[in-house]
Amino acid sequence: MDLITQWLGWMPNLTPGLVISLQLTGLALLIGFPFGLLLAVMAEAKFKPFQWISFAFVEIGRGLPALVLLYLLYFSLPDAGITLTSLTTAIIALSWNTGAYASEYFRAGLAAVPLGQKEAAITSGLSGWTGFRIVILPQALRISTPPLAGLAVLVFQGSALAFVIAVPELMSKAFEIGSITFEYLSVYTLTAVIYGTLTLIFLGLVRILELRLGRHLLRN
Amino acid sequence: MGLSFGTKAPPTALSGEVEVSGLGKKYGVIEVLKDVNISMAEGEVVSVIGPSGAGKSTFLRCLNYLEKPSSGTIAIGGARVVAGEKLPDKASLDHLRRVTGMVFQSFNLFPHLTVMENITLPQRKVLGSSKEQAEEVANQLLKRVGLPEKAKAYPARLSGGQQQRIAIARALALSPKVMLFDEPTSALDPEIGLEVLAVMRDLADEGMTMLVVTHEMHFARDVSERIMVMGNGGVLEIGPSRQVMSEPQNDRTRQFLKAVLDR
Amino acid sequence: MITQLLTSIAQGVGLTLYVTGASLLFGGLIGLVLVGAARSPIAIIRAAATLYINVVRVIPPITWLFLIYFGLPQYALRLSTLQAAIIGFSIIASAFMAEIYRSGLLSIPDGQREAAHALGLSPFTTVGHIITPQAFRVALPAIATYGIGLLKDSALASTIGVREITYYAQQSAKQTHEGLLSFVVAGALYIIISLVVALVARRVDLKLRRKIGVL
Ligand SMILES: Nc1ncnc2c1ncn2[C@@H]1O[C@H](COP(=O)(O)OP(=O)(O)O)[C@@H](O)[C@H]1O
Ligand SMILES: [Mg+2]
Repeated sequence: MDLITQWLGWMPNLTPGLVISLQLTGLALLIGFPFGLLLAVMAEAKFKPFQWISFAFVEIGRGLPALVLLYLLYFSLPDAGITLTSLTTAIIALSWNTGAYASEYFRAGLAAVPLGQKEAAITSGLSGWTGFRIVILPQALRISTPPLAGLAVLVFQGSALAFVIAVPELMSKAFEIGSITFEYLSVYTLTAVIYGTLTLIFLGLVRILELRLGRHLLRN
Repeated sequence: MGLSFGTKAPPTALSGEVEVSGLGKKYGVIEVLKDVNISMAEGEVVSVIGPSGAGKSTFLRCLNYLEKPSSGTIAIGGARVVAGEKLPDKASLDHLRRVTGMVFQSFNLFPHLTVMENITLPQRKVLGSSKEQAEEVANQLLKRVGLPEKAKAYPARLSGGQQQRIAIARALALSPKVMLFDEPTSALDPEIGLEVLAVMRDLADEGMTMLVVTHEMHFARDVSERIMVMGNGGVLEIGPSRQVMSEPQNDRTRQFLKAVLDR
Repeated sequence: MITQLLTSIAQGVGLTLYVTGASLLFGGLIGLVLVGAARSPIAIIRAAATLYINVVRVIPPITWLFLIYFGLPQYALRLSTLQAAIIGFSIIASAFMAEIYRSGLLSIPDGQREAAHALGLSPFTTVGHIITPQAFRVALPAIATYGIGLLKDSALASTIGVREITYYAQQSAKQTHEGLLSFVVAGALYIIISLVVALVARRVDLKLRRKIGVL
């Protein structure tokens, strides 16, 4: 059978999987980025217990292989009387993982805003939360955006791990097709092409974003 | 020496716009500010000079609590704070910062905001002004610092001198009673510095109370009524500008002036 | 209980280290070839190297493993799980190592090459004795960081049945119903290995720095 026809024939089965992969990625980013920002702010807090909590979440989220974190939640939450769907478990694990990495980029971004900005905010009457929100945070976010966008690409790739706890995402669908048709090489090549193409498109968007963000900060 | 401008008569009555007494600051055991006292009348301009490391910046930054002083009292434009172990209550601190405006050596404009936003945002957040009110004030200030056409520009597109003039406008927008300047021209080429000094001179003529850390001896002599010389964290001497410049009382002041003027 | 779990899960440490180490080694070697190719005077070789590096990086590691483990036997290439894992991770590592070498090379000032040239050293000697040692010095911290990343990625080998740490943790979780504890133990093992690698790398880095005299 012609390869293209074969691939086209599989697409209706793979597409729902891809949709779930994208949903999983989107939710992990939507939850993981704000969580990461919270962890970053807590890490800089004066109140020590906040620092410890942040440290624990970040070190577990980054120090463990994502797969181990996923299994850890998957096997232990039911014992603790919490029953969640595989998808929800995967979202939590991936968000945690994302948040832990994102917090490092947010911290770096916050640290890169010159001290003079904070002082100028204070002397302009913009102290505390207001100054943080309208002076420091926008500048920090701009610095953190390129690495965060890079992280988003990795999160998309990481969503493939959800396969191991039977979330019906792209890898699962490919596996299904493979075990029925035994055309493993072909179906995983197609899967690789799908991941690769979307990743490339995303990386392209990241480039454009970087250029746009940097524009008015450039000297002429 | 260059042109001299008519100086205002030294203030007689102490209306006490600024009253600082016994101001001290320690970093650990190192005392970087020792028993600094000064009182300034409304509308008075005082230049603070002295060698690098003398404590000039620390002094200025203690006045609005960018640094926490270890001891002393600060009273500025109706706000009053007594330094102690703990930070003063938020209301006093906010009051103190409301009555002071500050201009930094490195401008510190907010790079992600346009010139207009730099000037209007503090007004809207602090004074609760409407957008229209704030922009009205901003436009007047931009005219005053000679940059009415730059409202829509981002700071990175401006020269250093332009940025510093905008920074002055931003500080003025909150109608402070006292302006604090920490070496506002030190990061600029001398001829660019002049455009900033001109704005400051106008401000002084309009009656703003100003405390200016500077190495510009013309400005110190011609614009300020008094000069305060600092060294080693303390006040070496303070007196009418011309007198301090021509007949310094203190040996170290003399050495410092000689070094600066010979350059 | 915890000692039981620990002894059973720790059985996987050997293969975890083996997969990681072998892949880093092979990947490191292929990576050298790749940087060489990426700087080749022949355009098509340069393009091929760049294409390889990018293709490898835009596909998730687990997809690579499945492609190799399930896909290749279709063409009579029977691979053991361990072989498949090492091949897969070597391919992945080679692309990342090539990037690490590349930035290491970029950090060597042109003057070094020019000086070597002026001294009449052959291009081969220049690369072998002047450029590579310096580039390696610069790249060492990045290699260590990547090695730790690869260590964590190697957990994926459990999905095709390689009996490394995560594999045993999963078995324990199923058999003992101590899911939390099993994966806490596994996680702790990964963190301990990462810390040891990081410490050793720091030591070596400091030693090299001191030897050359830059701090
Ligand atoms: N954060 C700090 N910790 C310790 N010493 C400091 C700190 N900031 C300033 N100093 C010291 O305080 C002294 C006065 O500094 P500064 O006020 O900046 O001097 P000036 O502005 O007159 O050059 C200097 O000796 C400086 O080293
Ligand atoms: Mg200073």
